[in-house]
Amino acid sequence: MKKRFAMLLMVALLVVVTALSGCSSSKGSSSSSGVSKNPVSGRSNELVVGVDGDPHSWDPIATFLLAWSNVANSVFEGLVNRDNNLKIHPALATSWKYINKNTLQFKLRKGVKFQDGEPFNAAAVKFTFDRLLGPEGKKGPQQANYTSIDHVQIIDNNTVNFILKQPDPVLITKLAGYGAVIVPPKYIKQHGAQYFANHPIGTGPYKMTSYKKDNQVVLEKNKYYWKSGEPKIGKVVFRIIPDPSTRLADFQTGAIDIMKTVQVSQAATVKKLKYATLMQASTPTVYSLRFNVKKSPVNHVKVRQAINYAIDKKAIIDKVLNGYGKEISTYQSTLSFGNNPNLKPYPYDPAKAKKLLASAGVKNGTSLDMFISGSDATFKEVAQTVSAYLQQVGLKVNIHTVDGSTLTSKLTPTGKAGQFYQMGWGGWTLDFDNTAYLLYSKGQFWNPDFYDPQVEKLLAAERSTVDQTKRQKIFMQLTQKLYNDVPEVNLFQTVALYAVNNRVVGFAPPHDDRINLAQSSLKK
Amino acid sequence: MLLYVLKRLLHSIYVILAISLIVFIALRLTGDPVAVMFGAGEPTKSAIEHLRASLGLDKPLIMQYLIFLKGIFTLNLGTSFRTGQPVSGMIFSRMGATVVLAFAGVIVALIIAIPVGIISAVKRGTAWDFLGRIFSLLGLSFPNFWLGIMLIMFFAVYLDWLPASGYDGPVSIILPSLTLGLILAGVLARLVRSSMLEVLNKQYITVAKSKGTSEWLVVLRHGFRNALIPVVTFLGIQFGSLLGGTVIIEQVFAWPGVGQLIINAISERDYPVVQGGVIILALLMVFVNLLVDLSYQFIDPRIKVEGRKA
Repeated sequence: MKKRFAMLLMVALLVVVTALSGCSSSKGSSSSSGVSKNPVSGRSNELVVGVDGDPHSWDPIATFLLAWSNVANSVFEGLVNRDNNLKIHPALATSWKYINKNTLQFKLRKGVKFQDGEPFNAAAVKFTFDRLLGPEGKKGPQQANYTSIDHVQIIDNNTVNFILKQPDPVLITKLAGYGAVIVPPKYIKQHGAQYFANHPIGTGPYKMTSYKKDNQVVLEKNKYYWKSGEPKIGKVVFRIIPDPSTRLADFQTGAIDIMKTVQVSQAATVKKLKYATLMQASTPTVYSLRFNVKKSPVNHVKVRQAINYAIDKKAIIDKVLNGYGKEISTYQSTLSFGNNPNLKPYPYDPAKAKKLLASAGVKNGTSLDMFISGSDATFKEVAQTVSAYLQQVGLKVNIHTVDGSTLTSKLTPTGKAGQFYQMGWGGWTLDFDNTAYLLYSKGQFWNPDFYDPQVEKLLAAERSTVDQTKRQKIFMQLTQKLYNDVPEVNLFQTVALYAVNNRVVGFAPPHDDRINLAQSSLKK
Repeated sequence: MLLYVLKRLLHSIYVILAISLIVFIALRLTGDPVAVMFGAGEPTKSAIEHLRASLGLDKPLIMQYLIFLKGIFTLNLGTSFRTGQPVSGMIFSRMGATVVLAFAGVIVALIIAIPVGIISAVKRGTAWDFLGRIFSLLGLSFPNFWLGIMLIMFFAVYLDWLPASGYDGPVSIILPSLTLGLILAGVLARLVRSSMLEVLNKQYITVAKSKGTSEWLVVLRHGFRNALIPVVTFLGIQFGSLLGGTVIIEQVFAWPGVGQLIINAISERDYPVVQGGVIILALLMVFVNLLVDLSYQFIDPRIKVEGRKA
């Protein structure tokens, strides 16, 4: 008797649990009010953005994190800026020209003030670069990017000369980078660097008025901003919500207006929300499987080509990434200077792969070690798919999942990451120079194994001139060479997904994580 | 008593020394903070050397370890590689959020587990007991991130009663503490039940009952009090580890506690923060354990600590 009662109870419990989880997971498709009614209310002049990380320091010379640029792009500006199409535009400089081979002159914008009222002028530019290139800059990762600059010379209040040690074809594009944003001399001298790292001041459209680590950042309109009519929204809050499921829940409850980094698996849910739009922007980041070209059997170029032919990259993008990715021919996105439009990604051709493997003398059932980062769930699926494709041509892949930082900072640089390993690379200058030099030049930190004399020659040639047509030509040769050599299998170029509440007008998702809100406004 | 405390504290020095060595070595074996810092930059050899020197990583390992040790004993845990701020300040500023969540979670767990455990034990073998045991089994077997996300889906997205995440006012603690409390309550209820069952079979309970004392009074006064010892031990150890931050719950609810701080520091290989954080947490753990041991004699005056003459 008692037993039967117990059984009944258990069944009842199961029903309740299933019902509970059922109604929560099918949410969004079944309850129509949940998908059509805009959940945001009472924030008429305030925009909330949900981001996934906190950079922990706002000092531009101390960081390389995309999480920094999500927020800091609204606070700081450089002499030049990138627009949403990644084109370089004048920002705090109005024009520039080379006076001679090693002197670059900038005319500065007049009447610009920092957010605390301090004037922007030639002295601020000099202070910024003295700081970046001096002992303080040594403590951070940014200085190394600007070593071609010897010093900055003040000509008058609105003119500066950059005196270079050697020509740097990528200098202008680097000046749009994180480390080169202009900082306020008086403010930093008065408060010190540590205070500045938590209470940053720049010339950008928004001023940071409050910062709580790993919680939220509050920005308010910069009343001194030089572009008339911008920014349009009075207050912007960045909330740091690391978990993507939680971030989406906050978006669905209206706690945030813009959700950064929507997961591929969440895209369909966002698309169903009638009050929101799923926006996408291709990014410069390319995911690849890089080979350790010293290890057998991938030291043989035919084997590397065979692996490239054996993987159906298009199917991976369509099935694993739900279409949110782009095929790519070499290790740089179509967004970067130096991309070679004539090269087509290796087609899926398992028969050819088998032939190449046979001609390289690789036995059926040869096993390969692949190292991937454990924190990347999507890439894990990609890796498993790759392993299945390689099995079809007779290669056995052992996937080793390791901690992400251990992989990039320890195993990759020392050549201990198996025959091939996961690597995501953005090339922050959006110029192939950065990627090509760091990944293919001998002895570079992330290149423990690849060496090719012709590649070295082309790299040196590309660096020695500022003539962009010449450089483009060199890059065409270089990309062709790398395409044939296959130092890595380029799997896909990533797409960044944003969920945006329809009450936000004029928001364009950035290609490079540098969220720009100056032109955005809110529907009343 | 005092002697006992002193002895325990002396023991803890060995513990701290061992932990410091393990943390120090494990961190250096698995990653390079300078490489992580450079991200996609241009780490030339000289830039890497400069950065290493400015972080003090150019010194021989033994020197680095001695500096760390000296820091522990002079209460100066160094400055973070990433923020340039003192490590102790960074950790204590996060402690508030963690302590609040730990307390709230434990309170939720106690409110649920004690009645469930007692009823299960007293009504042993009945449907009530069965229900109670099912409940604790569920608590034990739910992964906490899954439970957290389910609670968010139900209470925030579906019912729209509570915020999904954040650290903003008392409302925001409800869901994280409920998640933590439910998971803890599973184990705790089992523990209360089994230790109650043991006590209820003792002779003094039968004596008390036969004297005509009401059943619930016997259960609570004579039974529960004596069943408390394993519960307090468990809670003490749990609380100690809760102070280390419930990493997953903090992550799910965007709760800015110590767990998130240390996890981020590990992925950035911010040596001083990880080292300092682990040492502070180890000290807390030692301290909480000591408190637990000392509390026994208040629960059961028959227990006397070593070193005190009986």
